[in-house]
Amino acid sequence: MKRQTGTRTEIQTSNDIAIEVKNLHKSFRLPTEQAFGLKQALFNRLRGIKGYTEQKVLKGLNFNIKKGEFVGIVGRNGSGKSTLLKIIAGVYYPEKGEITIDGNLIPFIELGVGFSPELTGRENVYLNGALLGFSNEEIDEMYDDIWDFAELKQFQDQKLKNYSSGMQVRLAFSIAIRAKGDILLLDEVLAVGDAAFQQKCSDYFTNLKNNNQTVVLVTHSMDNVRNFCDRAILIEDGKITANGPANEIADQYLKLFS
Amino acid sequence: MSIPRVLNRKNRILLAELTKTDFKLRYQGSVLGYLWALLRPLLMFAILYVVFAKLLKIGGDIPHYPVYLLCGTTMWSFFTECTAQGIQAVVNRGDLLRKISFPKYIVVVSATLTAIINLLINLVVVIIFALINGVDFSWSWFLVIPAIAELYLLSLGIAFLLGSINVKYRDITSIWDVFVQALFYAIPIIYPISMVADTSTLAAKIILLNPIAQAIQDIRFALITHETITTWNYLGNIFLPFIPILMTLALLFFGAFVFRKKSKFFAEEV
Repeated sequence: MKRQTGTRTEIQTSNDIAIEVKNLHKSFRLPTEQAFGLKQALFNRLRGIKGYTEQKVLKGLNFNIKKGEFVGIVGRNGSGKSTLLKIIAGVYYPEKGEITIDGNLIPFIELGVGFSPELTGRENVYLNGALLGFSNEEIDEMYDDIWDFAELKQFQDQKLKNYSSGMQVRLAFSIAIRAKGDILLLDEVLAVGDAAFQQKCSDYFTNLKNNNQTVVLVTHSMDNVRNFCDRAILIEDGKITANGPANEIADQYLKLFS
Repeated sequence: MSIPRVLNRKNRILLAELTKTDFKLRYQGSVLGYLWALLRPLLMFAILYVVFAKLLKIGGDIPHYPVYLLCGTTMWSFFTECTAQGIQAVVNRGDLLRKISFPKYIVVVSATLTAIINLLINLVVVIIFALINGVDFSWSWFLVIPAIAELYLLSLGIAFLLGSINVKYRDITSIWDVFVQALFYAIPIIYPISMVADTSTLAAKIILLNPIAQAIQDIRFALITHETITTWNYLGNIFLPFIPILMTLALLFFGAFVFRKKSKFFAEEV
């Protein structure tokens, strides 16, 4: 049952590589015929069945991301983009290979992590903020800005379950963008809200780009890749099939579907 | 994992905020709200008191028996709440584990801290009852602190161990529910240990080697009456009373070890 694990190291140096990924492999164990539960586990062991099938998701990735680079990661559904991002973020363990992160990493795998429908908007801001590493005092300071940006101030004492899903995402996004780190990992967070709010998000990304923030963006929107990314990486079936200038990769991605 | 890293600022903020949320959510949507934290153990006590003390006339010779009983049920509720919530913690917080990276033990500790808050509220009630019932204040009251700490560490050990297995095999929750029911009768909560001692000294001694029984008897000794039979004054040996303490520590370290090893894969398995 021993599972090999690769390494993920966080360092702080002045070298110009922000993220280095070497020979990264990852597979998941998917339980077969309801291997959940003790009885089934016992039966499987007696019969000599593993009780799971191994699904290879990432098959040896190698790439670097430089400090100050805005890099897009693109690929079809199920190609392994999100798994890659989660491994970089430290949510999943690498099965094989080495990852080195140089600098303070802020991951947004999903907006509104920990949001609880039974709590008020105000309470959720503090909870979500804590998950992003903010203390209560820090949230106190940025509290008004968060609500102003989300344009939801009049709802702050309503329970979150009474918010529309668009409103929830706007609130989550407003908290998320307060986080300050050397490297931002963003998974599909651009497509939120109405046109006016989209514009705000777009401004935020332009701002990141102008400030030379290191960003890794997983997205399906080739407009975003062309507009914001310096470089893009195309992943197909767990392998990197292209790595280069954003426009070229965007074209190549669109060809996958033609 | 060194201590400064375990208790760094970010983890402390997270622990505090998750505990607050757990506590708030527990009684959400109930009319009486937080009052249930008090009412639940009091009602349980009332039932046990009527059935065992009044109808079955158990515990007549123990001074302050109602408080003695309340004290036992309060500690028992703490133990069951702490373990039940702790074992479920990883599964309940699966949404967080799948999305952000943080030390996993935080979810277990935050779930058990909620039980500690409830215990502290209930302890105030026990003390008020004790004073009304004519128990005098004594400096020995402070001895409840190490006994509660022992009970907490034991619960934490169980929560770490079973909680990490529960991620894959959800049967653990149901098995533990039943086991706790059986355990309740193996511990002198509703019946006084002297009842067992009258028939078999050996049985009483074995019961007192259970860390939960030891802690509860110690708390009764410290808080209510020094006539309480405890592991320390009954086993008649200097070394034997340390067995429950060693059991607690062994379970805690083993539980933490297993949890740490398994926690790498919680995010993908939960």
